[in-house]
Amino acid sequence: MIIDDKIVKIDEKIREIKMAADEIEKLGGYIEAIKKNLVRLRASIKMLELNVSDIKMVM
Amino acid sequence: MTENSSIYWNPLLETMDREKLRNLQLKKFKRIFEWAYYNSPFYKKLYKDAGIEPGDIKTYEDIKRVPKIDKGMLRNTQNKEPFPYGDILAVPLTEITEFRQTSGTTGTPVYQADTWQDWEWWSECWAYILYAQGYRDTDRLFLPFGYNIFVAFWACHYAAEKLGCEVVPGGVLDTEARILKMQELKCTAFAATPTYVLGMADTAKKMGIDPKSIGIKKITCAGEPGASIPTTRKRIEDAWGAKVYDHIGATEIGAWSYMCTVQKGLHVNEAFFLVEIEDTETGEIIEEPMKNGKMIITAFDRYAKPCIRFDSKDVIRWADYDCECGRTFRCIDGGVIGRADDITKVKGVLLAPTAIEEVVRSFEELSDEYEVIVTKKGDIDDIILKIEIKPGYESRQEDILKKLRDHLRVKTNLGYKIEMHPYGSLPRYALKAKRFKDLRKH
Repeated sequence: MIIDDKIVKIDEKIREIKMAADEIEKLGGYIEAIKKNLVRLRASIKMLELNVSDIKMVM
Repeated sequence: MTENSSIYWNPLLETMDREKLRNLQLKKFKRIFEWAYYNSPFYKKLYKDAGIEPGDIKTYEDIKRVPKIDKGMLRNTQNKEPFPYGDILAVPLTEITEFRQTSGTTGTPVYQADTWQDWEWWSECWAYILYAQGYRDTDRLFLPFGYNIFVAFWACHYAAEKLGCEVVPGGVLDTEARILKMQELKCTAFAATPTYVLGMADTAKKMGIDPKSIGIKKITCAGEPGASIPTTRKRIEDAWGAKVYDHIGATEIGAWSYMCTVQKGLHVNEAFFLVEIEDTETGEIIEEPMKNGKMIITAFDRYAKPCIRFDSKDVIRWADYDCECGRTFRCIDGGVIGRADDITKVKGVLLAPTAIEEVVRSFEELSDEYEVIVTKKGDIDDIILKIEIKPGYESRQEDILKKLRDHLRVKTNLGYKIEMHPYGSLPRYALKAKRFKDLRKH
């Protein structure tokens, strides 16, 4: 149960990072340096989702 | 699952309760199936023609209804747009950042497209492998491969960086230079095909360097089944004084399984892949252990060029043991036992080339190289086994031959014509070795 709570909390933080990436894109997505580095950031966020957030599907 | 589980890359997944894991696999299968259905014209047509759509997959059993794909289909789709991948592509071409291709030994190469996210996923799969094999940020890993169009150890490189290892790219160096560089930098590990690992040991000895003196602690093998064949693994471990671990992956699939430090079977990364083993005669999915079948595999998280129920032609079997490492990911026994194309009937007996390797490599008097050629004279099959005797053992040739014949007969139920070749005269391979040749098919 403690682990489940942690998974939920980590997942919330992952979603916050994801939303932050979206906001950065809205603000500066027209700048290549921001847009292309966000591609990398989102790929890393996806790996966090695969490792943690996906577990919520079976909780 | 414990919170402080330092032997696992991700204890949340690697020690997950099996029922939960199976449920996760179903959910993830549905997700990638839906993605492919709506984004890849190739898959959409395949599934529409089969009369199956995303809503139809409700249970694990329903997965069996999903049509399989194979290498031939992947090749055919490449004739369509967008060039060069074809209509299997499920993302715009502008999102592709990585190109790799298969070796093309069985026909036209298959081109593999990956986005940066897919490439991150490749290295994530490898992170599971390396961490399970004891790689940490204290390791200096040498990678003696070509760094070219073949995927080889590319993702291993990125994963090792992710783990914090120091990675030394040994690309365009010859074998001697690679050995000297590993020695100079006191590398702690390297990764290569078993054939090349043995070849490097041989070269080091010729240079007057004892491979054991270099200080390598672990070696990760891929590309051939050798590291899962106990006699070959022992040969490598004895030569290098290092632990040897196997891993299996493929360009079209990803890095789907790994040996952990227990060195028993190979864990299937079941959080990232669905492995089904199909009985080649009945077509039924095999759940019971120690029964050989053909692997059908799905990568759950590869999006640009999805890999769903891919008929790999690799023959594997579930292990009849649990690994003591605590991972709940199921193990396969003995790695890839052979290719469905290679496991063949000779004189009416099923022969797996790996069984021959196991016997040959158990003779310390024989070199690492051998070749098997199956021919047909009239209606009779013949198997020729070419071997080399190491220098110093020539006087015992007759005795060795007799023992070899006996061991081969016990292991494979077949008789062989054994040809002795001078030491160093059989072909040496830097990448995947092609030691089994069935000339009856040509």
